[in-house]
Amino acid sequence: MGFRLDGVGLTHANGFTALADVSLAAARGERIAVIGPSGAGKTTLLRLLGAALRPTEGVLSLLDAAPWTLPGGELRGLRARIGVVHQAPPLPQRQRVVTAVLAGRLGQWPLWRSVASLVYPLDIAGARAALTRLDLGDRLFERCDRISGGQLQRVGIARVLYQQPNLVLADEPVSALDPALARQAVRVLVQDATARNATLVASLHAVDLALAEFPRVVGVRDGRIAFDLPATDVSEARLRELYASEGAELPTLANEARFAAHAVDAQPPLTGARCR
Amino acid sequence: MHSLRDPAARGRATALLLALVVLWPLLTVAEFKPAAIFDAQNLKTTGNFLAAFLPPERGQEFLGFLARATLETLAIATAGIALAMLLAVPLATLSTRVLSVAEIGPGPGRVRALWLHHGLRALLTVLRGIPELVWALVFVRVFGLGPAAGVLALGLTYGGMLAKVYAEILESGETRPARAILEAGGSRVQALLYGLLPGSAQELTSYTVYRWECAVRASVVMGFVGAGGLGQLMDQAMKMLNGGEASTILLTFLALVLAADAFSGILRRHVANAGTQPRRAGIGPFGIGFTGLLLVAVAASFAFLDLGLAALFSRESAGLVGDFLRAFFPPDLSPAWLARVAYGTLETLAISAVGTLLAVLAGFALALPASGRYGAVAGQVSRFALNALRSVPELVWATLTALSVGLGPFAGVLALALHTSGVLGRLFAEALENAPPAPRDALLAAGARPAAAFLYGTLPEVTPQLAAYTLYRWEMNIRMAAILGFVGAGGLGQLLYFELSLFHYAQASTVIAAMLLLSIAVDAASAALRKRL
Repeated sequence: MGFRLDGVGLTHANGFTALADVSLAAARGERIAVIGPSGAGKTTLLRLLGAALRPTEGVLSLLDAAPWTLPGGELRGLRARIGVVHQAPPLPQRQRVVTAVLAGRLGQWPLWRSVASLVYPLDIAGARAALTRLDLGDRLFERCDRISGGQLQRVGIARVLYQQPNLVLADEPVSALDPALARQAVRVLVQDATARNATLVASLHAVDLALAEFPRVVGVRDGRIAFDLPATDVSEARLRELYASEGAELPTLANEARFAAHAVDAQPPLTGARCR
Repeated sequence: MHSLRDPAARGRATALLLALVVLWPLLTVAEFKPAAIFDAQNLKTTGNFLAAFLPPERGQEFLGFLARATLETLAIATAGIALAMLLAVPLATLSTRVLSVAEIGPGPGRVRALWLHHGLRALLTVLRGIPELVWALVFVRVFGLGPAAGVLALGLTYGGMLAKVYAEILESGETRPARAILEAGGSRVQALLYGLLPGSAQELTSYTVYRWECAVRASVVMGFVGAGGLGQLMDQAMKMLNGGEASTILLTFLALVLAADAFSGILRRHVANAGTQPRRAGIGPFGIGFTGLLLVAVAASFAFLDLGLAALFSRESAGLVGDFLRAFFPPDLSPAWLARVAYGTLETLAISAVGTLLAVLAGFALALPASGRYGAVAGQVSRFALNALRSVPELVWATLTALSVGLGPFAGVLALALHTSGVLGRLFAEALENAPPAPRDALLAAGARPAAAFLYGTLPEVTPQLAAYTLYRWEMNIRMAAILGFVGAGGLGQLLYFELSLFHYAQASTVIAAMLLLSIAVDAASAALRKRL
């Protein structure tokens, strides 16, 4: 019960091919990091995995179901078991953080409960628990437009934590966070997925974070899968080939060797280890 | 850890209680008695009146008059709106807080900017607070009977309305781009053109075209003081109880409003696409051709109406206006008269409040299908219903409701409710269509029901706009409640009508002053309320 993609591709109506011949499979409880240069197709891949986009070719199976053959009600039920952390949190400006987090379970609640929760939030404790794991417990009743971009991104993560889905898809979930917070937030996602034996797929821009926290790394380039390896087998040469168009530096949390976070982490930073 | 309580709950409960406590006396003063609609005698009278509407008049000569009157109405509306925009764009740009450089920091010139802001807002309130009918009466003194008085009256009052709503649209949208430009040293105009307009263009255009349709309807009121167009024709037909002619004119109105609605839709689509298609210039040949056509239409309107605007600035006309205005001062401030005016004010307030409240409920109910949520057919039917409600002027509705439930404030409540639900329904539907789809789409992708996704994803985004439209419409309804009194629907209007007919200008000016003060008080209250949203 994870997912399976067989020769999946997506070509847009204007002829642009976002993804081609993608074959990827994951068992339940696996944790995968997706890396690659900008415009490679990482977001498209995640949207396909979230049943938000329909592939134009290939076969797709999510959580042991073929989403695009299901009737409406069952597709909705399937989507309720998939959680997406968006890079730009889709939260209404004037909504309060507590309501935004509680919205994670709308797929599981009956309609009367959804309406009642708007009048008075029905599970404040649950929302608070999710936010506390991301150091935002005290922001429970703030409006979304009164908190910073990084805090907003963490509210988006809290929503997915509250949803407790079987498949967690995170699209650049920590792009607005400083290196220490980013590492902490990714660890929260990983711990949550491990505890519930949920499948986690995260696309990350910082290569060192991906290699440090995820056992399996998939590289995407130009709409195709460049490699699909355990993190220990990913060499620097492969990484440079993947990011060939992005200049000499590989994208990491901290490009300066001096400021790498090895005070917190046992593993030395990528560039530091290769320096000599 | 003990469970937390929602800090906003107490405030919300108090507000609800307060609203109910205020609502009860308002319903009483407005003589809210829904049972009267279904009274047997009333239904019969209404039926007879409606029967006189059929068959509609189709004679050659009448249709000729109708064609000319329609063109005249369109010309008055177009010329009036053109004048209003000329006034509104600079006023809105100067008076809106989001384009104020002094606000950042705050920096130097803050006090001056504050005076400018509040001074302009006061000017706009005066322009909007005095009904266009009163302005028209003044200008008729200068230009005589004819369309010029109507065009100027429209230009002034609608200029004030447009300026205020432009400023509110600019302020309620995404303001960070404009602020970023101001912080980078850009000018006010640059911040407007590059920062605010791209996000608000659709809303601004929608509202302006909608105001043009309102101007067409306002010609009915103008017609009563002899400003030509369909209004004058309608006035004659009603006075001679010629139901056939009245229904033909009403049908023409409906067709006009439908045409304007289609026009607005096309315009909105093109504004939405401008700048997103891969072309060298932002606007493209269609946009340029279209703008050219608009300018030609405005020029043609002015030419068709043959307005003698030069007469306004002659010494003789200034003297005439001066004499007329002097008769209004000083206003009658005796205690007995003030007491009557006070009760009339309360009645007007009650009529407008209850009418607007009913309209919000009905309008929202119709806006949901009209925004395309339940498919194309439901959308078309509800849009047609909204247009029908909207295109019949409140005055005509008031004639009908006065027959249906008798003279008095309840007739005014129903007339306002019927017309305003069409107006608000259309504005609500457009706000719902324009709402950013990302929050709702994300919730649907997470398995939420469409209804729940709407409540959590779309509604929070549009609530400020809906509230702004409602509060603003309530203000307008206060002015409209005054005019409805002209056909016996109670309130300050009924008082004003009597005093003007008896040439008691001093008493009339007290009533006008009361209308203005009421408008200002509501303006302030709605601004305070909107900040809390």
